[in-house]
Amino acid sequence: MAYNCRVSASEVVLSAEGLAKRYGDREVVSDVSFALHRGEVFGFLGPNGAGKTTTIRMLVGLVKPSRGRVVIDGHDLGTDFEAAMRRVGCIVETPDLYKFLTGRENLEHFARMVGDGAAGRIDTLAALVHMDGRLDGLVRTYSLGMRQRVGIAQALLSDPAVLILDEPTNGLDPAGIREMRELVRRLAGEHGLAVFVSSHLLSEVEKMVDRIAIVHRGRTLAAGTLAELTDGGKRGLEDLFLELTGGETV
Amino acid sequence: MRVMAGLIENEALKILRRKRFRIVLIVLAAILSLVVFAQDRQRRNQRRDNPTLDWRAGVEKRATELERRMNERRVPENFKRWMRYESGRLRYHLSKNLNPNEITGPIFTRAFAGVGSVLLIPLLVAVFGADLVSSEFAEGTITLLLTRPVSRWKVLLSKVVAMGLFTTLTLLAAFFLAWGISGVAFGWSGWGAPILTGFRLGGASPAAGFDLSGVRMVALWQDTFAAWGLAWFSALAVGSITLLLSVVFRSAAAAMGTMMATLVGGTILSRIASDWDGAKWFFVTNLPLPDYYAGLPTPFEGMTLAFSVWVLFGWALAALAAAFVLFTRRDVTA
Ligand SMILES: Nc1ncnc2c1ncn2[C@@H]1O[C@H](COP(=O)(O)OP(=O)(O)OP(=O)(O)O)[C@@H](O)[C@H]1O
Ligand SMILES: [Mg+2]
Repeated sequence: MAYNCRVSASEVVLSAEGLAKRYGDREVVSDVSFALHRGEVFGFLGPNGAGKTTTIRMLVGLVKPSRGRVVIDGHDLGTDFEAAMRRVGCIVETPDLYKFLTGRENLEHFARMVGDGAAGRIDTLAALVHMDGRLDGLVRTYSLGMRQRVGIAQALLSDPAVLILDEPTNGLDPAGIREMRELVRRLAGEHGLAVFVSSHLLSEVEKMVDRIAIVHRGRTLAAGTLAELTDGGKRGLEDLFLELTGGETV
Repeated sequence: MRVMAGLIENEALKILRRKRFRIVLIVLAAILSLVVFAQDRQRRNQRRDNPTLDWRAGVEKRATELERRMNERRVPENFKRWMRYESGRLRYHLSKNLNPNEITGPIFTRAFAGVGSVLLIPLLVAVFGADLVSSEFAEGTITLLLTRPVSRWKVLLSKVVAMGLFTTLTLLAAFFLAWGISGVAFGWSGWGAPILTGFRLGGASPAAGFDLSGVRMVALWQDTFAAWGLAWFSALAVGSITLLLSVVFRSAAAAMGTMMATLVGGTILSRIASDWDGAKWFFVTNLPLPDYYAGLPTPFEGMTLAFSVWVLFGWALAALAAAFVLFTRRDVTA
């Protein structure tokens, strides 16, 4: 496959250090820290309202952190936005594209923003997400699964080191979920991307991630490989999750 | 720089594919056809009712009528000033033996710059300007647009440039549609005809005379060029303010609605509130630059063409500055 990835010197490709976000007088995220490594799938788990989406918005510069910082492939997001963002692709919440354009026109639109020969990668990426031959319909006519795929192709246009997906299996059918899982594994395994996946569906995440962090009320509570967190499989992840979060949602 | 060209291409693509500009063209063509049709009918009726009347007698009659009515007590002050101006203009034309009511396609086109820049052209600019930013929020595409390796100020700058580009296209389209459609009824030629411009009232009081010192004879094409250039300038100011509203509101309907209400409200204000001269600082009051250039009485005292140009420039600059500050600092949360 012509799709290639750059080898970076350091293993850590994204680090979040003490992120916090305050809306008015409510602190939605209080202390979130973690590091993403090359070639791993990282699960970001937490109940509804834990602050997952808010954290992701801070990771990609949509929301300015009240405290803490984000470093992507050696570039501080706050001071070196363009260089940092060149190394990330993301889908935040829903894969919203321009509905009045075709899938291909959407990809061309974002390729023009990326520059750097991104337009030449469109066909390769379409094949990667199994959208080849279906890019010329209007996005208005696409199913959610198709929009999700075009969204991922879009995220990969800049040949990033990090892919950030917010609840990527939300709304997909079982076949779609499995396909998404395989794609994520492949991007990490074959292409060396660090993939960040947020979810509140434990069972989903268990099958695709290498490491997880559990976030509750805006704090990262536990982080590690699945084996570490479950004592080598003696405890269920669900039990741990409920124990840490007290079984409540915010 | 290459990225900037790409960004502008993106914005142009979105405006065209949203079909906003097509609406602008259709509305322009429809309204111009109606106006030309009505004016042509009126002219035919006058000729039919009075086939022998020569233009000098008609103009003389009209000037006398205006002079009689402007001394009536019940006529509003604003209107009196206009009548004083109009009768002075007519009499000067008589003295030079030039028909002020002559109508050709080019003359219609010149006049449309003044009429159009009050309400019609600003509304059309608002049609495509209002959703430049707000629709990105409404449709959720803002998250993709702002997570690409392009700083926010560059994204907004590309939208400002697209606004300027399509405002220019709107003015060009308005010009050529006005000329093309009016030419069908009144003939397309006559750009070289001499016309009188630069009339001015001597002062606000009825006693003050009619100032002829600035009156000059120019070729119609020169006058038209200046008038449309000024119309373009006020359209750009409207576009900048619309862009700010588009950044403030998350829905295009709210942005467009606010702009329309402001334009209509401002027009009413300058017609009725002539004794509150604070209204001269309002941008809507200053929009008819082509009329002020021609010397038509301004709604408030102390307004001149230069004053209006500077007021509009100030509004546009402030609106763009506010739009950049808001757009680059704002948290994108939904
Ligand atoms: N703009 C905002 N203003 C105020 N509060 C907000 C804002 N955005 C989010 N919140 C609050 O912050 C909390 C965390 O929201 P967030 O969307 O990050 O949670 P989440 O972990 O993604 O939840 P879910 O699993 O439901 O998607 C919620 O309680 C939410 O109500
Ligand atoms: Mg969420």
